[in-house]
Amino acid sequence: MIGSLIRNAGFALILLVVLLAGNLLLNPARFHPAAWGTLIGLAAPLIGAAAASAPVILAGRGGIDISVGPLMGFVNAIVIQALFLKAGISSPWIILPAALLVGAAVGAANGFMATVLRIQPIVATLGTYLILVGVTLTILPAPIGPAPVWLKAMAGPISILPLAAIFVFWWLVHQTPYYDQLMAVGSDDRAAYTAGVPVTKVRFIAYVMTGMLAAVAGLMLTALIGSADPNVGPTYTLIAIAAVALGGVSLAGGKGGLAGAAIGAIDIFLLQSLLTAFNVSTYVLQVAYGTILVAAVMLTAVQERLSARRAA
Amino acid sequence: MKFDRSFFASTNGRIAGAFAVAILLHVVGTLLIPGYSAPFAIRAILVLAALLAVASIGQTLVVILGGIDLSIPFVIGFANVVAAQLYGQGWNFVLVCAVVGVLAVLIGGLNGLISRGLNIHPLIVTLGIGMIVQGLVLLWTKGFPSGSAPPAVSAFVSIGGSVGPLPVPWLVPCVAVLTALIVLVLARTPYGRRLYALGSNPGAAPLALIDPVKMWVVTYAASAFFAATAGVLLLGFTGSAYGDVGQPYLFQTIAAVVVGGAALVGGRGSYLGTIAGVLVLTEINTLLIGLGFQPAAVQAALGLIIVLLVSLYGRERHVSTTI
Repeated sequence: MIGSLIRNAGFALILLVVLLAGNLLLNPARFHPAAWGTLIGLAAPLIGAAAASAPVILAGRGGIDISVGPLMGFVNAIVIQALFLKAGISSPWIILPAALLVGAAVGAANGFMATVLRIQPIVATLGTYLILVGVTLTILPAPIGPAPVWLKAMAGPISILPLAAIFVFWWLVHQTPYYDQLMAVGSDDRAAYTAGVPVTKVRFIAYVMTGMLAAVAGLMLTALIGSADPNVGPTYTLIAIAAVALGGVSLAGGKGGLAGAAIGAIDIFLLQSLLTAFNVSTYVLQVAYGTILVAAVMLTAVQERLSARRAA
Repeated sequence: MKFDRSFFASTNGRIAGAFAVAILLHVVGTLLIPGYSAPFAIRAILVLAALLAVASIGQTLVVILGGIDLSIPFVIGFANVVAAQLYGQGWNFVLVCAVVGVLAVLIGGLNGLISRGLNIHPLIVTLGIGMIVQGLVLLWTKGFPSGSAPPAVSAFVSIGGSVGPLPVPWLVPCVAVLTALIVLVLARTPYGRRLYALGSNPGAAPLALIDPVKMWVVTYAASAFFAATAGVLLLGFTGSAYGDVGQPYLFQTIAAVVVGGAALVGGRGSYLGTIAGVLVLTEINTLLIGLGFQPAAVQAALGLIIVLLVSLYGRERHVSTTI
């Protein structure tokens, strides 16, 4: 697992070290070890969104879920507006399963459209994207607060818990035959089908996993902002996919993993902090952001090409 | 040849289906909303559809090639703001258009070169390049674009405009001619043939001496060029520059192409189909707003309808049939 991580996300790892060093040197106050808990809390929703985007991309044949961001926003709105404020439910024992159920249901709907109806994934999840954004804005026209106390408490250092849960979950998936089937389907679905892998079922489960992970990311977002905001969720969609690509997950499927996606997300977060430390305008931030994204995927591609040549 | 015929029959079937849906939606609108078929309403629908049609040309071409272009909204915003800014500084408008066009072609060419040359998914490349372009424009204007549209462009796209006896602005007949040209290029020129060949089999096409990198560069450059054209036209439509003017076009161009029967895996699709998709989307939008839906509800309904339409006639093959 470690070996394949270095092979796929090697560049993202180097970038991580460089950015971390840069941040520590230029921004010592913000990156003081005592503040690391806060930092993890700030980065958690993006890491969650990237991890959530990964399973369907790994499943291959154009698999992608652009509704991850809006689903995070939808979970955020449901938890605060419908469950906490309207129904007065604050118990984590109801909110957590409810959020996971919403995520699984949306994921199953996406999976049904993409694998059973066989609508192109980007179109199917674009439909879900528009529906979720519309519904979220209808039940929650303006930001509203607060969040339950226990959920807000998850924002700081404790946000390591949901993140750890995600990776323990993925580690467990790794131990099952399903993982190998997923990677087989992602690398070559025709060969996998011929070998008797239930391609449709494997892909469907990937969409459900993505939905549930997105729900966890939505909860981490809720913890971070401590309220419900209909406009924050959708902004995570494209950044999350960029993080996944940066972390060495091939958008063609079958290569990479959640750890790579998380490293890609941390890269993007560190990059944002570093540029903010320079006190540059958000416009410069955006240019740098795009440049590093393009440069990173280009370098990854060049590195792959070189290592392929060496192997041959 | 038999395969060829059934291929075109199915594509034509999808296009006819999409046109039928557009007409059906219009009939429903006329029955439900008084004044839906009034001349002014039809002119508005035609102008909005024509603008989306121009923005969707590039998406159609890159989708046939098997790619996708997420930089279209950013290039639209770039052209919109840069054209207004330069014109506001007293530049000759023809020169402004030339500068914007050349820059757009360079942006698009870079998209194609990086995506194909290094084999990186165009989703990421066009998104990254798009963000860079938008950031540079914001830097240049410091976030406050100024300037305005030349009267000629405004008249060209004005809903109240007319072409001789025809009660539509010049934009509409021009887009009709452009549509015919694009259809002709796709069906009758070596470029069109190569585009379909490379899209349907990227492995075999190079063996037929089709240079993939060149095709990707040219096609993405064309995509950016038409996106820039849409940006300048939108400047005339709204009257002033706005950097985010292109944002709705990100998903709308993809939706139009797909509703028009193209497959995002490449090799299939047509601009006529995209036109049908554009009409369907414009009709749905107008209809839902006419029925008094809130923008949020319109968006949700749009998502639902796209999924329904595509599940009717845009389904992909099962993996067992691809072996």
